[in-house]
Amino acid sequence: MKRSRWYYVSLGIVYFFLLGPFLIIFAAAFGEESTLSFPPQGFSLNWFANVFATEQFIYSFWTSLQLGLLATAIALILGTPVAYALTHFHFPGEGLVETVFSLPILVPGLVIGLSMLQFFVLFGKFNIVSGLLIGHIAILFPYAVRVVSVSLRNLDPSVEEAAINLGANRLRTFFLIVLPNIRAGIAAAFILGFITSFNNVPVSVFLSGPGIQTLPIAMLSYMEYYFDPTIAALSTLLIIFSIVLVQAAERVLGLSQFV
Amino acid sequence: MRRTITILVLPALLFIFIFFVLPLLFLLAQSVQDPETGRLTLAGYGDFFQRETSQIIYVRTLRLGLTITIIDIVLAYPASYFLARMPARRRTLAMSLVILPLMTNPVARTYAWLIILGRTGLINNVLLGLGLIDQPARLIFTEGAIILGLAQLFLPLMILSLVSAMENIPEDIEQAARSLGANSLTTFLRVIVPLSADGLVLGATLVFTGSITAYVTPVILGGNRMLMLSTLLRQRALMAFDEQGATVVAVVMIATALAVNLIVRLFRPKPAAQR
Repeated sequence: MKRSRWYYVSLGIVYFFLLGPFLIIFAAAFGEESTLSFPPQGFSLNWFANVFATEQFIYSFWTSLQLGLLATAIALILGTPVAYALTHFHFPGEGLVETVFSLPILVPGLVIGLSMLQFFVLFGKFNIVSGLLIGHIAILFPYAVRVVSVSLRNLDPSVEEAAINLGANRLRTFFLIVLPNIRAGIAAAFILGFITSFNNVPVSVFLSGPGIQTLPIAMLSYMEYYFDPTIAALSTLLIIFSIVLVQAAERVLGLSQFV
Repeated sequence: MRRTITILVLPALLFIFIFFVLPLLFLLAQSVQDPETGRLTLAGYGDFFQRETSQIIYVRTLRLGLTITIIDIVLAYPASYFLARMPARRRTLAMSLVILPLMTNPVARTYAWLIILGRTGLINNVLLGLGLIDQPARLIFTEGAIILGLAQLFLPLMILSLVSAMENIPEDIEQAARSLGANSLTTFLRVIVPLSADGLVLGATLVFTGSITAYVTPVILGGNRMLMLSTLLRQRALMAFDEQGATVVAVVMIATALAVNLIVRLFRPKPAAQR
């Protein structure tokens, strides 16, 4: 294909708009001044040190990490059987089931968080952590079903049929044949789910309390009181973390086909 | 077989019902209940739609959603075409750069706009340095700031939807159009655009509903001075302690998002290329 002027102009604008702001954050993180300004003056690593010295960030990082891992695991355990049923059988009410399971995508995260707070925490007297966990599982669930369904559809059905013809039952076939063959899809679902939970703000806004705060919520509350480049330094670290994770996943699993 | 399907689907169905649908119904019930007497009332909704501030915020939210959708369509359409036609290896890299913003922490991503638009930020410093303005202009807490932030946030979704629709258009069709005398622009407008219409509709729905329900960008770039539905909801719940008011805003938000999805589903063009 001949590359026209339009090729460079249109892609140039899109990438400048999408990625330019990241470069600005990187530059701002190394500034010396204690109020955020751009272009930054001087060079310092103080703000990175400050990230690790701020207890709120360390604590909320662990909360987000545990929450993300647990919520993703539960969403996958609930979602994989559904994906299997939807790809292997036709049954009455199939469309309805699919619609019900995509509901958490259609409902705004902020509303999900508010309903968790009011129903479980204020009305049901559950603790905030359970509300947070349930909310995160709910938003991850549709993605788990979708990503696992994609990899189940890509699996050659004759592999499974061979196992069944040789006398294995469905359960055995699933664990011995299907699961090992779709492990890339499961891993992709896990990574996508974890990132989604780790980055989520809206669901968590109403579900924080003393000692319970996810990392993005801690960042937002820090920003209300301080105007120094600490958030730029932390953002730099988080962006590098996503680049590494996404590139690794893309290389190993072809992540973009599942998004 | 029936039993198998039940075993597979029932646990998740129960989970979604008890832990997701029920809390939402509870929220809906609270929005039509008088907080003091517990009686059924539509006063909360009356209040929302009659009060001028919430009217302004609702209209603003819809207007910004539409503006952002149009901006993203214009930015994404030509770029998606070139992405869809890239050789596989280069496309993989190009697409992973497109989805990178989707995978980064939203607070980090939005923070960049504060550095660009803030009082001592990039734009103000450049304009001051050039002598174009005497004192820093207020660029954050404006509609423009929210539009910039959300247009950037949702651009990848538009590109992903368009690219996956355009991938299915065989290149032969374009060559046919060209050999019949159409130039590049005509081919693009009369062949590529109609054949990728389902991707466009999907992308536009995602961007619009995403924009009218987004939280992080309006809270950082709009603050309490430029409220959208989501930040109004937060204000009612966390600052005004107006629980019923908050649930009303929440229901209005869901209803709007669902209505948009429903309308699109009813009028959606039939998928042009086979999936």
